[in-house]
Amino acid sequence: MSSISWRRSLAVPAIAASLATLAACAAPGESNESGANATGPIKIANINAQSGQLSPLGKWESKGVKLAVDEANKAGGVNGRQIQLDLFDDQGDPTIGTNLARKIASEGYIAMFGTAESAVTLAMAPILKDAKIPNITSGQSPKLADLKSPFLFLNAPTSVAYDETLAKYLVESKGFKKYALISNNGSYGAGEHDAFLASLKTRGITPVADEVVTPDQKDFSAALTGIRQKDPEVLFIGAEEVESGLIAKQARELGLKAVLAGGAPMGTEPYISTAGEDNAEGSVVSSPYLSNDATDASRAFAAAYKAAYNEEAELHGAKAYDGARIVIEALKATGGEGGQKLADAIRATKHSGLLGDFAYDESGVGLHSTRIAVIKSGKLVAESAS
Amino acid sequence: MQVFLQTLIGGIGFGAVYALVAMGFSIVYRTMGLVNFAHGNVVMIGAYAASTFYMSAHLPFAVAMVVAIVVTGVVGLVIERMLRRLEGRDFDLMLIGTIGFGTVLEALAVLIWGATGHAVPSPVGSAPLDVFGIRIRTYSLVVIAIAAVATVLLALFLQRTKLGAAMQAVAMNPHAATAVGVHVGRSNAMAFAIGAGLAALAGGLVGPLLYVSPVMGGSLGIKGFAAAIFGGFGSIPGAIVGGMAFGILDSFAAGAFQGYSELVVFLVFAVAVMIRPTGIFGERTVNRA
Amino acid sequence: MKRLTPVALVLLAVAAWLLPYGLDRYAIHVVDVAVIFALLGIGLGLVMGVAGQINLAQVAFFGIGAYACAILTTRAGLGFWVAAALAVLAAVVVGLVVSVPALRVQSHYLGIVTLGLALAFINWITNAALAGKSEGISDLPVPPMFGVDLSSEYLFYYVELVVFAIALAFALFVVRTPLGRRMRAMRDDSLAAGALGAEIPLLRITAFVLSGLYGGVAGVLYAGLIRYVAPETFSVANMFLLLAMVIIGGRQSIVGCVVGALVLSLLREVLVDFSVYAQLGYGSVVVLMVVFAPTGLAGVPRLVRSWLRRRTGRDEGRRAALGPFAPYEPAPVRGGGVMLEVRGVGMSFKGLRALDDVTLSVPAGQIRGVVGPNGSGKTTLFNIISGFYVPTSGRVLLEGRGIGGTAPYRLSQLGVARTFQNLRLFGDLTVRENVLVALDRTRTRWIWRYVLLPWGVVRHDRDLRRHADEILGRYGLGDYADAQPKSLPYGIQRRIEIARAMAMSPRLLLLDEPAAGLNDEEVRQLAAMVRSIRDSGVTVVIIEHHMGLVMSLCDQVTVLSGGRVIADGPPAEVAVVPEVVEAYLGEAGYLNAGTQDAQEVTR
Repeated sequence: MSSISWRRSLAVPAIAASLATLAACAAPGESNESGANATGPIKIANINAQSGQLSPLGKWESKGVKLAVDEANKAGGVNGRQIQLDLFDDQGDPTIGTNLARKIASEGYIAMFGTAESAVTLAMAPILKDAKIPNITSGQSPKLADLKSPFLFLNAPTSVAYDETLAKYLVESKGFKKYALISNNGSYGAGEHDAFLASLKTRGITPVADEVVTPDQKDFSAALTGIRQKDPEVLFIGAEEVESGLIAKQARELGLKAVLAGGAPMGTEPYISTAGEDNAEGSVVSSPYLSNDATDASRAFAAAYKAAYNEEAELHGAKAYDGARIVIEALKATGGEGGQKLADAIRATKHSGLLGDFAYDESGVGLHSTRIAVIKSGKLVAESAS
Repeated sequence: MQVFLQTLIGGIGFGAVYALVAMGFSIVYRTMGLVNFAHGNVVMIGAYAASTFYMSAHLPFAVAMVVAIVVTGVVGLVIERMLRRLEGRDFDLMLIGTIGFGTVLEALAVLIWGATGHAVPSPVGSAPLDVFGIRIRTYSLVVIAIAAVATVLLALFLQRTKLGAAMQAVAMNPHAATAVGVHVGRSNAMAFAIGAGLAALAGGLVGPLLYVSPVMGGSLGIKGFAAAIFGGFGSIPGAIVGGMAFGILDSFAAGAFQGYSELVVFLVFAVAVMIRPTGIFGERTVNRA
Repeated sequence: MKRLTPVALVLLAVAAWLLPYGLDRYAIHVVDVAVIFALLGIGLGLVMGVAGQINLAQVAFFGIGAYACAILTTRAGLGFWVAAALAVLAAVVVGLVVSVPALRVQSHYLGIVTLGLALAFINWITNAALAGKSEGISDLPVPPMFGVDLSSEYLFYYVELVVFAIALAFALFVVRTPLGRRMRAMRDDSLAAGALGAEIPLLRITAFVLSGLYGGVAGVLYAGLIRYVAPETFSVANMFLLLAMVIIGGRQSIVGCVVGALVLSLLREVLVDFSVYAQLGYGSVVVLMVVFAPTGLAGVPRLVRSWLRRRTGRDEGRRAALGPFAPYEPAPVRGGGVMLEVRGVGMSFKGLRALDDVTLSVPAGQIRGVVGPNGSGKTTLFNIISGFYVPTSGRVLLEGRGIGGTAPYRLSQLGVARTFQNLRLFGDLTVRENVLVALDRTRTRWIWRYVLLPWGVVRHDRDLRRHADEILGRYGLGDYADAQPKSLPYGIQRRIEIARAMAMSPRLLLLDEPAAGLNDEEVRQLAAMVRSIRDSGVTVVIIEHHMGLVMSLCDQVTVLSGGRVIADGPPAEVAVVPEVVEAYLGEAGYLNAGTQDAQEVTR
């Protein structure tokens, strides 16, 4: 096999290119960060999975972000400058995430939205911190807050807040005593499991069953039958939308009567349709965004969302929308400037959003409580108590 | 005891699906010696086709299934036509070629139906049966029944019809089959179409049990393939037994090892293959010594 | 693969060295990641392309390297490079473990088992608290390097470049020297490779260990570069991407694998915003590659050249020609007394009796013919003598030593060589390499020299090549040394197979229908060759249908029919035994048709 010919033909232009650029710059690594100039559009990156397992989440988040930015641009942008929002696909892979973090750093983006996957955000955080690019993430793992990065902000409460609110409602308002847990070992499920368990512990309750499944699992007979024998009053589900739905469906088919409870995924359409409306009935959901009809703001948001995408708005779009609004507000305060100034401005922003009143602390968490709702006839109905 | 029986029932319910997937792998393999790694993705296409016709076109479930079988049958024919040049040549290349096809099908599904996926309402409304505290899903009974009927029909087809007999002949000895006038190419295409049809059956049936999305093919394909090998690759009874065995193993591992179930399942599988590579019923295939 | 000219090599090195000067921080990071994938590609190329072992666990080896490094630095507090060394070791050990299934199963079975093991690994890292569960391990230390700040992607690139250059050079070295040749022989035909003395199990283990080594090194570099590990990076999707890289690049060429990995990693970055279309693209390209260019990008130049040649209708300038066979110097018989003894051997397959109480004894220095109608068990007998089958009953002795059930490679080391009825030359090796595989009589454990004594390997290889050219010269095959056997006429292939068997310097040579498909002139040359081989001290046993050849060549003839010996003696005596005449008359018409068929099929 002769590899000489192509090697040579490869080498020559490569050398020519290298020499040409060598003349232009002295040492490798000398970067020219000239992206953040005061004219032209403000560049903001939107990094969310558009393919792979997590792409549904990524797509919802992107739609929310885009809606907020489009509205701002239509209203004249930030101090007259338009916002240029560019979407990047991290494919739910931390390696690609780190590539993209460096890409946006070298291409002059001054802020970033995403990602929906905590693991990817965790991988990107140190790079964004070095590059001083504020990042509004849609992840909600407590680990994100533990980083205490001054450039990382959550657009929703952490799992701790979700589950604390939920446990408070179930234990204190409803007086349930026998709990069973089923959660998957993915990053979302494991976070929910730990947070809810901790909230129960502080109330002196030990669950009667604690089952772990895999994110890919399809048959939960063994775990659910074991739980059924313990006859719990509440079954806490810590899993993503579809798996929560499957668990709920199979739990009911196995004759489990317990109240189903869980975090935001259980308030979504995929959960209800996967479980079936009958099986989802009565599920208790802890979520910062209960329904599109909750307030005037959410009604307006839902209408705009529907007009833009011909789809019903839901939680992920709403929280991404809130996050984007906060950044836009902060940008107006800094006059379009990024870096440390923008991060400080975000921290100073008090925003009354769809999910609640944001006020960021030093760990980058802006919301500390959620609301409780119960699914009735396929719709989320807010519980006034609590 | 109750947990044991309920776990068993759950395992059998999904085992029937794995069995259908495994049968699709086996029918293609025994006839043409091809491992179709895209099979899981064909299952996914089948699930989408069936659920789309069922939900959007409001066809009755059974009719939607038939339409889906036709759709995937055509997909199968296309794959077979593309890879025909490789048949009987390089085994590894065919394997990789089908993986490539799987990737293409997955991307196409995202483009056609979007990445989000959808849930499919169960076509059987009635409540689960309750037998001494053991709950049996009525829909699972339907799945098992359809799987059984499909198996019987397939066996009858292979043994009683001329085309089936020709396929059997090709499976045993393609050279001899050619010599006695069997059209090997047609027989291979037929096998591929039947395999793809079985995939649609599996996909259509699994839709209401699970959730239809572009990535659903991956694990169904891997587990179905593992099930086929478990039972004896290329053997139809092997596919049934292997599928059931894999479903039950999956269920019990999930109960006993929780989050580690996948690790346990695949380690058990690896050891089983090493102890008895030809599976429970032995490999049925063209001899490529 | 021909040698690179030093000039091209230097140019390439300079270009690689200067590359960072032209790139911004993001681009250099992408290149850093691409180099890691290139290392993985080399590992996968070695195990899959060179050794022919389907390995879908490469991404797990990668993960083991990265995770071991992460765990040892953050949990056990080891220094980065100590952790790195242990991590590579861990990946090698895992490679060793994953190779165990390969000893039992091959092709798709091996594929699903290795894929299953990769899934098991992913499952473990998402569950184990030690591995940080699904959120992985962050805050890995920056690898220290005498004050050089390796958190800079630019400087890390140079570390990678050095590692990569060494890794690539080592891989190419392996492929072009005895170990790689044996692995390629095993890939093309593991049975024939075994018969030539390749220790198949050990070679398979070696292949997986090598792929573990490359996976581990890649993992360590990944840990040092990204300084964060999480399960998603080691997913099945990335395994398939890696597979696409190797297939598109050309799995049998290490350079091809590297090119494929670099091109696809860079493409993935370029197309990152169109990932669904990119996926569609990869898939389609893999399918098209597999169908139309199975040798990948690396094979494209040759495809183009052969296409051009066909278009222009021109053949190579100089016509290659088969030279005359130069007879061996007569030498005393190697070994003495009875060379081969078969005592009461029986063999049945699933109740079907192929051999029944076969007894024969071949004195050293004899040419023994074994004849009989089709299906009489001749080849089964050969397969037993050469160790492919374990007889159901009876004993086989080589110079009085029991060899029943001994593995083919052991028999080969004991001096038993054979050819095959339907030609088993290594199709993707050149004629010279076919002979080289047989010439190399070292054991697999000899390969420790690759690590500690590489120049010893080079010297050994040089000796082998000289010797190979001698043998090719003797058999008049000099002109075909660099040709691929598949492209040569049938008669020449037959001769190559004999030359290859004789390259092993055997005591006992088993020839299975060596005259099948030869014309009269070639049969005459064959007879002269076999006589000369015998005169050089080798005992020959020959299965043949060509009665003229058997009668003129053999000292003694054994006739098999229905799995039993029906006659044994000098050719002239055997030919008139009534049972023999009957057996052959009953079969005569069918027999001729049969041999013709066989020729057509194998041609």
